[in-house]
Amino acid sequence: MSRNDSNSSPNRELKHENLAMLCLRLGAFLCFVGWTWVHFYWEGPYGILLWQESTYELAERFGISWDEFVGTGVNDGLVQAWISRVAWLYLACTILTLTVRKNSSMQMIALVGGSGLLIVLSYAKYVGAQRQLPMFVEHGGQMLMPIILVLALRYGIRHRVPTGVAMLAVIATFVGHGSYALGFWPTPANFFGMTTVILGFEYEAAKTFLWVAGVLDFLICVGLFVPALRRPCALYAVVWGLLTAIARPVAGMSWSLIYFGADQFLHEAVLRAPHFLIPIYLYVIWRRPPDEVSETSDDSIELLPLPQLYEIPLAPFD
Amino acid sequence: MKFQTLITICCAAVLAINVDAQNKSKAKAKQKKRRGRAVLTIPEVAKKDIICFALWTVHDKTLKLTAQLYPTSDGDTKVVRLEIMKGGKWVEVAKTTVIEPGWTAPFRVKNWDDSKAHKYRVRHGELAKYEGTIQKNPVHKDQIVIAGFTGNSIHPGHGGDISRQDIIDNIKRVDADVLFFSGDQVYDHFKHLAGWLKFGRDFGEIIKDRPTLCLPDDHDAGQPNLWGESGKVSTLRGASDGGYSRPGVYVQEVERAQTSHFPDPVDPHTIGQGIGVWFTRMTWGNVDFAILEDRKFKTGPAGRVPKQGPRPDHIRNPEYDPASVDVDGAILLGKRQLKFLDSWAQDWRNTDMKIALSATIFCGGAHIHGNANGRLHADMDSNGWPQSGRNRAIAALRKGFAMHYAGDQHLATIFHHGIDEHRDGIWSFCVPSIANLYLRWWEPLKPGKNREPGAPAYTGDHLDGFDNKVSNYAAANPEKQPAGNLLNTRSAGFGIVRMNTKTRKITMECWPRNVDITNPATKQYKGWPRTISQFDNYNPPSWGKLGKLTFNVEDPVVQLVDAKSKEILYTVRANGKSFTPGAPKGKAFIVKAGKDAPNKVISRNAKVGSKAQKVTLN
Repeated sequence: MSRNDSNSSPNRELKHENLAMLCLRLGAFLCFVGWTWVHFYWEGPYGILLWQESTYELAERFGISWDEFVGTGVNDGLVQAWISRVAWLYLACTILTLTVRKNSSMQMIALVGGSGLLIVLSYAKYVGAQRQLPMFVEHGGQMLMPIILVLALRYGIRHRVPTGVAMLAVIATFVGHGSYALGFWPTPANFFGMTTVILGFEYEAAKTFLWVAGVLDFLICVGLFVPALRRPCALYAVVWGLLTAIARPVAGMSWSLIYFGADQFLHEAVLRAPHFLIPIYLYVIWRRPPDEVSETSDDSIELLPLPQLYEIPLAPFD
Repeated sequence: MKFQTLITICCAAVLAINVDAQNKSKAKAKQKKRRGRAVLTIPEVAKKDIICFALWTVHDKTLKLTAQLYPTSDGDTKVVRLEIMKGGKWVEVAKTTVIEPGWTAPFRVKNWDDSKAHKYRVRHGELAKYEGTIQKNPVHKDQIVIAGFTGNSIHPGHGGDISRQDIIDNIKRVDADVLFFSGDQVYDHFKHLAGWLKFGRDFGEIIKDRPTLCLPDDHDAGQPNLWGESGKVSTLRGASDGGYSRPGVYVQEVERAQTSHFPDPVDPHTIGQGIGVWFTRMTWGNVDFAILEDRKFKTGPAGRVPKQGPRPDHIRNPEYDPASVDVDGAILLGKRQLKFLDSWAQDWRNTDMKIALSATIFCGGAHIHGNANGRLHADMDSNGWPQSGRNRAIAALRKGFAMHYAGDQHLATIFHHGIDEHRDGIWSFCVPSIANLYLRWWEPLKPGKNREPGAPAYTGDHLDGFDNKVSNYAAANPEKQPAGNLLNTRSAGFGIVRMNTKTRKITMECWPRNVDITNPATKQYKGWPRTISQFDNYNPPSWGKLGKLTFNVEDPVVQLVDAKSKEILYTVRANGKSFTPGAPKGKAFIVKAGKDAPNKVISRNAKVGSKAQKVTLN
């Protein structure tokens, strides 16, 4: 194959599509890896849902006694036993993100079930956060990540369905973050903490910084619908998603801690991988084909009406 | 095509479940709003009611009073005045400017005459007035009554919305001399001002006329647990990495509201993020209070101790090695407070008895956490960890025979603490919550040793989850089955400690809510009341007695110093003209005594079993 052939447009397209698929696969993999770690090493956040008298009443209907439900005090009850078993489901989903292929229907269905797991988990966190809506919404990127992967495999990486869901995922994550940053709901304390520790800002400066970040969170959500702006917006989302993900270990890890604090903080970045990998996916697939670049000057980009935005040509193998 | 349909159905199902769950959760949330969580807001008040409440203390002839205002309008004056009634007229004694954020107006008046009561009023503008009484120092009373509270949840889900009128009535009935709120006066992590104003509306009626000590704890500072690490910034959810989760300015506002009326801090250097310190002492009615900050300097466990459970601060594994978590460098009270306690324990001017106040007790005082099965072997939020720091704290307090009064555990308990042997340290009383947000049980797996006859199996000598020696005498365990939303099925209530400066007896009482505690038919929680002697706070079972000392003066101060190491064993004010010091066997002691300070050596080689001695003091 000549040099020219290898750089030919279809090959380059294929490379980009492979890169986009890699982003989705990696995003789903890391998200599940992070949460698997949480479930195995720490504990899933389901206590808030299960350790309730109403849940016990439900269990009672199935003939489960109080001691069986909560344990005798010496042994774990059903609640703790089942919370720890959820880890295996997460591990299975982690493996599936690597093995799932276009034609493996059962694996795809199972991965969609993985999204279901993440939805339950996000709901538990939402309840734990005193039912603050952004807590659920900001997990949109993580909840939808496996579904985007499945849709991309099934319909093709450039198909409007995975693309649309990916946009929804990015918007959910950024709207959730932005709502907190702008104080529509009480800004989580660690937002200020991380800003102060990493950037050395005092409270007033941190507040301004978060406000600006919050405004940008909303602006990029709007920008994703504007063809001329969507790639820069996606790029911003990549950068900001990455920075906010790694902010946890950067702010918290220290040489003086056991394992440098990696077991406390690292997974916080890993499970947030969809926050920057989904925008990378969008950035890559929104790359205009070279032919179009040569034929269309920047000044003449036509703004498509919204319904047409998703009318993106299907990938060759679709 | 078939697969596409399947996927579409799956996605639709997931979405439907989600939407359904959202709808249900919305409905549930609405329902919860009614019966679960309270909505906390700052009410609009008329200008004449702009002063919500006022807190005060008097110590060493200095009055500190903080008026708490509702937010004022832009055009309103920021000046707040303090007046006292003199000869039938109101006389202005101090003026201050309201501090924002927080709307606190702190006053400090020197040369305060504490030999008589003074009516006071705080004024803002021409309309707003708030009146109360600064009591005279009750040195004439034989018994000082200290009412203790903790955990002031306002949420209906656990009875937090039930009126506090029963508490107000009972405190008035017993005419408490001091009010002690050990922490979690405000549970809202973001709206301290609104929560504090509600606290003032609920308790202002008794606070305005009594010295009140409110110790801001974790929830007051806006986080679920607090290991302050000298003001570090915490970034880990749950804050077990140490430090404060909320910005320093928020914590400063909280502490200004709750503690700016305390006697001046003994060591006022600020910590990280400009956060102040308020550990100090207050002498009132010849009882010396050490007001401690057991959270502010404490090290966070995350990453410092090997993981032993599902959370960095929880130890689930009963087989773990307790010594493995007592790591070098882990701090509890910190050097500054230990230094203060060292001098406090030796200083007996105007003091007959000593008591230490802090957020929580110096042991793991519960086994089961939460509203179901949450058996934890050990919880590092408790002051049982770090063990070395816990032992240092108890060692410092027992040198002054100080009893420890605290809260936070959501479970009322009485413990006699041990360091080297069971019952060689101080006694502690952990009070029940005003409204109990989170249930806990003291339920050791093995029956305690050396129990009193007929006492429950959970009492007696135990090792807590950190292998600290503790002897339990009472635990107000809530009902074991789902405890419902009532106050008393959740072991809500409050404590009363009676310090009798004449007999030197300390009586601990633990009362449920919505009862009349002066009614003889009213019962306290099982295990209460309990009366101990002041001298039980340092009376190890292995000790013997030195020879009896008879003095020519009443109530002299006696100090024992190890003749070899020169370390002070203890300092205490004797009760009456005679005192028989307890001491470890096989050691020699220098005995010092004096009327108000131990400045005269009366024996250089006193040992257990040595002869009685008559001592003349000037």
